[in-house]
Amino acid sequence: MVADFLTIAEAARLIEKRELSPVELVDSRLLRIARLDGKLHTFIRLLADEARRDARAAEAEIAAGKYRGPLHGIPIGLKDIYETAGVATTGHSKVMQDHVPKADAYSVKKLREAGAIIMGKLATHEFALGGPSFDLPWPPARNPWDVSRFTGGSSSGTGASVAAGLVLGGTGSDTGGSIRGPAAYCGLAGLKPTYGLISRMGILPLAFSLDHAGPLAWTAEDNAIMLQAMAGHDPADPGSANRPIPDYRGALQGGVRGLRIGLVRHFYEHDNEANAATQAAIAAAAHTFEGLGCTVRELTLSPLADWAACGMAIMQCEAYAIHEANLRTRFTDYGEIFRDRMVLAGLVTGADYVQALRRRRELVAELDHAMADLDLVMTAAAPSEAPKIDEVPKFGILERPSLTIAFNVTGSPAMSVCCGFTDGGLPLSFQIVGKRFADATVLRAAHAYEAATPWRGRRPAL
Amino acid sequence: MTRAELDAALVRLGLNVPEKERDEIAAAVPLLEDVQRRLRPPGGRDVAAEPAHVVRFPEA
Repeated sequence: MVADFLTIAEAARLIEKRELSPVELVDSRLLRIARLDGKLHTFIRLLADEARRDARAAEAEIAAGKYRGPLHGIPIGLKDIYETAGVATTGHSKVMQDHVPKADAYSVKKLREAGAIIMGKLATHEFALGGPSFDLPWPPARNPWDVSRFTGGSSSGTGASVAAGLVLGGTGSDTGGSIRGPAAYCGLAGLKPTYGLISRMGILPLAFSLDHAGPLAWTAEDNAIMLQAMAGHDPADPGSANRPIPDYRGALQGGVRGLRIGLVRHFYEHDNEANAATQAAIAAAAHTFEGLGCTVRELTLSPLADWAACGMAIMQCEAYAIHEANLRTRFTDYGEIFRDRMVLAGLVTGADYVQALRRRRELVAELDHAMADLDLVMTAAAPSEAPKIDEVPKFGILERPSLTIAFNVTGSPAMSVCCGFTDGGLPLSFQIVGKRFADATVLRAAHAYEAATPWRGRRPAL
Repeated sequence: MTRAELDAALVRLGLNVPEKERDEIAAAVPLLEDVQRRLRPPGGRDVAAEPAHVVRFPEA
């Protein structure tokens, strides 16, 4: 009998000791998917036969003494913007529902090389932007903590599938918060790595200069394991950094004593006011870090709306350029939320785009200066627990400034970490941000926080 | 932006937007105008302020 919920690290320890077979593990997930996914809608395409085949191969390799590492035999899911050879990659859209790539995305290839088993393709907001939508070929994913609630987006299926224990980890993408949002609302840990750390080659783009690929999983440790496999230079991605990749999992150890944290309270107390439960949970988390030996001081940055305006203008222009031709010829093949957001994007001018890029340079310099004597920045990842799925406004991303897009603008590593639950049992979160390429510090802080608090012991009742 | 100005902009963009969605889009235009305003600092920006370059040249 395989436990309903296992972290990647827990399952890997059992697989390495041959106390758990990848075949058993995959079969247990397939049973769970059969039982639960009818109401959660996390999978667009289940690859059951392929997963069983790959699990048998992993089991044979491990039995032959060829254990590859902590992803060997681990079932994961892919946001359906990650291309997969011979398997449709749709962007959750009618526009690309027949798109069958010839090759895997670079990061998918690396995950397979690490031994991960691909269970299937997961729901996303349409082309990583338009959702939650009810007029697409597949329904939107539902939050396992309460199926009437929003998962966050756009990596909606990944957040829901991991949180429900259908897969042990998954891939997301984050252009304005699309990893950190689902992690926040689904009670997970989700890392948007430094820009350029993971290749975007073979991932359907939303906005080239803001797109980040990354993992979602239950813990910081699991994020470290996935990042280790996914990171690395890819000459085929012009935004891919050519830098040595550290040992992220190894760097989790050593504690956080002495780390200096800047707490950006005005983002969530004034600029996009979070509810009382979120504010209290973040205050408690800051206190926890102090108890672990960190220093926490208040940090004031430009108004959140300035960061959001910069990010939104860039995102709108870059996304519009990608979809321009199809919008002209297949407008109503897109869902209403995506296409109407794109109409607004079409109204952003070339001058606006250049002003946004100029503002970006100023904001990057501002954060670099602010972090000169800091190791980390801490703020909210979301202003509340997950709202009802049918109460997400079409233009909500413009109505309240995003708490997450600032760090897409700067390319900084940023992570959502669960920091408690509402009285109604819905997850709360904070966001922790590092200097560019200091992803290991972000993961180490999140890991220390998780170890010092009880939140990782809680799972949704399904 | 008036509804007529939006309709004209949609013609320029070549977008065939269903009638029932146009009013909702027009109502959201002020949100976009706030974004556009925030990109420009009061008093203007140094004429030589260049945009950010995302892809950096490799170190020699």
